[in-house]
Amino acid sequence: MNPGISKPSSVTRRQFLRDGARAAGLAGLGGLLGLVAERSTAKGTVWQIDPQKCVRCGNCALYCVLEQSAVKCVHAYALCGYCQLCTGYFEPDPNDLNTGAENCLCPTSAIKRTYIEDPYYEYTIDEQLCIGCAKCVEGCHRFGNGSLFLQVRHDRCLNCNECAIAKVCAGDAFRRVPADQPYLLKTDTF
Amino acid sequence: MLTRLFQVEAASPPRQSGGETVLLAWRLTAWVAGVFSLLVGITLLVEHTRAKPNDLLQPPQLIAAKEQLRLDPTNPQLKQDIRELDWRLRQRYFRHLALMGFGVHLLAGGVIVLVLAMMQAARCRKRVPLPGPKAAIPHPAARFAARARWAVAACGIVVGSGLFVLSRALGPNLPTPAAELDKLLATRPEESSSPGHPQAADAASLAELRQNWPRFLGADGNSFSPSTNAPASWNPQTGAGIAWKVPTPTRGFGSPIVWAGQVFLSGGDARQREVICLDAQTGKILWQQPVASVSDRPDRTEVPDSTGYAAPTMATDGRRVYAFFANGDCAAFTLAGQPAWARNFGPLKNPYGHATSLATWRDRLILQLDQGESEDGNSKLYALDARTGQTVWQRPRKTGATWATPNVIDAEGKAQVIALSVPWVIAYAAADGAEVWRAECLNGEIAPSPACAGGLLFVASPSEKLLAIRPSGQGDITQTHLLWTWEDSIPDVTSPASDGELVFILTTSGMLTCLDARDGKKQWEHDLEMECHASPALAAGRLYLFGQKGTAVVVAAAREFRELFRTEMGDAFHASPAFVQDRMFLRGMTNVWCVRTINEAGKEGAQP
Amino acid sequence: MALLWLLSAVASLAEQRFPPPDFEGGHQLPVTTTPPARALTLDYLDVGVLGLSLGLAIWLVYRRRSRKGLIVLSIFSLLYFGFWRHGCVCAIGSLQNVALALGDRSYALPLAVLAFFVLPLAVAIFAGRIFCAGVCPHGALQDLVLLKPLKVPPGLEAALSVLPFLYLGAGVLFAATGSAFIICEYDPFVPVFRLSGRALMVLSGAALLGLSIFVGRPYCRFLCPYGALLKLAAAVAKWRVRVTPDNCTQCRLCEASCPFGAMREPQARPGTQTHARDRRRLGWLLLLLPLLLAGGGWLGYRFSAPASRLHPTVSLADLLIRAQGSPPKIGALTPDDLALERARQAPQEILAAAAAIQRRFAIGGWIFGAWVGLVFGVKLISVSVHRPRTDYEPDSGDCFACARCFEYCPNELVRRGVIPATTLTAAAPEISGPPGLDRS
Repeated sequence: MNPGISKPSSVTRRQFLRDGARAAGLAGLGGLLGLVAERSTAKGTVWQIDPQKCVRCGNCALYCVLEQSAVKCVHAYALCGYCQLCTGYFEPDPNDLNTGAENCLCPTSAIKRTYIEDPYYEYTIDEQLCIGCAKCVEGCHRFGNGSLFLQVRHDRCLNCNECAIAKVCAGDAFRRVPADQPYLLKTDTF
Repeated sequence: MLTRLFQVEAASPPRQSGGETVLLAWRLTAWVAGVFSLLVGITLLVEHTRAKPNDLLQPPQLIAAKEQLRLDPTNPQLKQDIRELDWRLRQRYFRHLALMGFGVHLLAGGVIVLVLAMMQAARCRKRVPLPGPKAAIPHPAARFAARARWAVAACGIVVGSGLFVLSRALGPNLPTPAAELDKLLATRPEESSSPGHPQAADAASLAELRQNWPRFLGADGNSFSPSTNAPASWNPQTGAGIAWKVPTPTRGFGSPIVWAGQVFLSGGDARQREVICLDAQTGKILWQQPVASVSDRPDRTEVPDSTGYAAPTMATDGRRVYAFFANGDCAAFTLAGQPAWARNFGPLKNPYGHATSLATWRDRLILQLDQGESEDGNSKLYALDARTGQTVWQRPRKTGATWATPNVIDAEGKAQVIALSVPWVIAYAAADGAEVWRAECLNGEIAPSPACAGGLLFVASPSEKLLAIRPSGQGDITQTHLLWTWEDSIPDVTSPASDGELVFILTTSGMLTCLDARDGKKQWEHDLEMECHASPALAAGRLYLFGQKGTAVVVAAAREFRELFRTEMGDAFHASPAFVQDRMFLRGMTNVWCVRTINEAGKEGAQP
Repeated sequence: MALLWLLSAVASLAEQRFPPPDFEGGHQLPVTTTPPARALTLDYLDVGVLGLSLGLAIWLVYRRRSRKGLIVLSIFSLLYFGFWRHGCVCAIGSLQNVALALGDRSYALPLAVLAFFVLPLAVAIFAGRIFCAGVCPHGALQDLVLLKPLKVPPGLEAALSVLPFLYLGAGVLFAATGSAFIICEYDPFVPVFRLSGRALMVLSGAALLGLSIFVGRPYCRFLCPYGALLKLAAAVAKWRVRVTPDNCTQCRLCEASCPFGAMREPQARPGTQTHARDRRRLGWLLLLLPLLLAGGGWLGYRFSAPASRLHPTVSLADLLIRAQGSPPKIGALTPDDLALERARQAPQEILAAAAAIQRRFAIGGWIFGAWVGLVFGVKLISVSVHRPRTDYEPDSGDCFACARCFEYCPNELVRRGVIPATTLTAAAPEISGPPGLDRS
């Protein structure tokens, strides 16, 4: 210690100032806490797409931070008409009603078409393949029942604080929902 | 001494000899890991830039091949090619995904090894800390402070000028929504729907509209023309009174509309729809415009041949003409024939084909698209901005398909759109589409359009009853505003015609009935003995009637029946006539007719 | 096709174009799966781990004074908060959620996120930047790869250390107006933790990581907005990191021990002449402060109009205004066209909302600009104030409590029994002698 440099009085003065600043900081933090706490919720939130607002622009396939988007097509089977000519499955004006690539809309062949009984077919989505491009959703919305729609799948979603797709969503359809009710499923077609 | 002090911890003598080889080994490991990570990283980067998501979403070759197949739909080789191409593309995409997933983990592993090796190498080379030479300069702190001040000041200037340049470059040129909003509110004064407000400049005035025949059943939609010198007689055989007659240039059941010396017709089929403009003086085609590929989607509307694509009658607001087709295409053209805009509202679900005609109000186009069954909930009423075709407002309608044309009426100074459905007659505020009132009185397949005259609204429930409604009040007015009903010889296709004094109704079988508009008392009825689809029209105190087989009848619009004129036209009429001054325009299945008043001098009659 | 239309005409059970069929074969409809989101208990587990890590870090720094322990904790935090939790939830991003909750009454802030914001700050007020020492995955990642530290020139360091405060201001401005979470969007390390992300951010993360081999914690020192808050809190901390808890022998061995430029030399009280000059300068700088505030506020206000376009509604309104009068597009629609179509359904609502956001931005711009001015003003003042100091000690605001300097202090080594106390007394004369000569 070099006693010539500092005087005890200045040390105590600085100490006093510091104590005061700390008290002020604590009070500020407490105040902020009080202000924000009343607007907080015990539940967590996750991102989800409101299918009624979705405009099927295709951004979901392109903007997710994951290499393969966490947004997938989801099928509300109860709404489906089980059409033989599914406009979510087939191209507009298909060459033929078979599963050949020239007739199919899905770029990754993620929709499986299963014969149930005449004239009904069931359509299921293979999520491993689906990239959330919304092509089938658009087809089903335009000419069908709208039973296909997009949802954020929470087994894949990283739940980024700032969802990269939400930022560019053309329909303003992304919103934060409570984590215990993480899906906005379609129960009504329009 | 100090060195010894730290040797205790850093490098003890026994490890000294082996230390060099260990260091070398760690360094080598670091180099290998570093080169490996770099290579993997570069590969990933190249792979990332190479594979674009659009290659899979919109592959140009695949789109081209599918287009080719459309032209040559039976070529098996082409199908095979498409399948192979699609398979290749998908394989490439999922290989890309797998490669990226695997490569990233490889890279992470490489980097971890690199960092560990470098850490170990650094530990082997750990040097003893030693104090450096004491700074020779006096007051190092002061020097540092001076330098730091300048650096902070420079940073501040950079940040400040950066903000300034940014706001300068982007800021002032931007229109602010606030200003734009004020402008929007200022230029749309009709939003306030005050009746005394001056009309927007971009639509003709009501007086102008009444001088012409701007829509189905005339300017007021009640089949009444203010003309006082409409032709009383003509002779198709000698050509007397026939100003001109030209072959009908296009197929369709819509009626002609007339504006400022131009007659407009729409027509077409599944392949091609069109709008045609004829010179009202000569019948020459002034312009002819196709309406095609309005939607990029294939046309999925089923249009029965019995009504065709052009059953809806066109409309004009004096600035542009608008045409609607049964497949949902809606197109606007300037009076000179330039396309203004086009929209598709399809597919429409209608068992007989869409036949509802257009209406306009100020600079808005009113579009009633009722379709399907009432449970489907697909029916809507639209008001479009006539300039651009953008939707100004739209209202869902809980109704199935109807065929009646909406009417825009003036009810106590406020404009209301009257649209029929089962079982409701509903009035919407023209300004914003809000529902004003509704009355429960309709049944069946609604085809006759509502007519408004003398402050009363006449609506026909097909083959059931004719009702007179006082169009005022709010909410459900079924109990309070139904003035009278008439239940004999009710039309199921044609619309009532009224001048406010009398109401004329005509059944498809030709039974013509005249009622008093005030109390619904029957004045007379008469069997014309002809099949009629064209609605009766009133002009110059006469009622004009046209049969499906070409019979034309003119009777006096009076409280007692008097047939004034009857002739055979040698044509078939489904469309209703249009009256402008001394001319009457007819669209027959074979000819378009212009009939003109003959006076003694053989000149045009005096203008009203 | 015709068959389908017929089908639809047959009967309409529900509000659908094609009513769901009644299967004669009794086919059972599959159920739409809904994989659950992350369980709430796991969110609170994160908070628990955070709290425990902070406690452990305090113990390691102040009690054990162990660098090795901190390295182990750093690796754990890096694995848990970094690679396992993908860098999200994190304290750095949480400040935006808090700002949004303040700016937007309808936003419900999850309590776990609030805890991530408050806990490290509360700890910093008492014990300095403990969070940075071994709990923050961003800091841990940079700290672990720091192998060849170079000294950043002090002037440059002073200038760059202003940036976190500016970034903080911008982050709060955009978050509170509900426009964007720019701190998350442009975070360089989260893509590294996720092993995926936008190419630009992955590359910038890699570049920053490469830089941190030579420059100690560049993100923490020159960018981290939460670090700016922690710095303010730590500056008034009750307990501070000291090179040695015992007496300093002024051996200067720790002089270059700090790779983060936080070590402060002893400083004598300046002479009367310099003192008077410094006081005059300080007076001028204090006078300059309100000017900086006002000028900054004005600049911030000017900046608010272009900045507001980061808000999706404002940019949509902008699109709408630009597209006014042009007819709706025919043909394939891009996402922008679709957004425009949506805006055209209710132009007045979009414009009114955008105008309201712009008004908020104008106020926010004033505050942001004034904050920028304040930051520069205070920084200028702080580099002009002399604080007499007797010992070598880390600056409590800048110190990341990484415990590196402890290992440089002979007193400390004696205290921990690494070297016998006798070596120190024997070495004492040498230390007070001319420095820098004994290099054998």
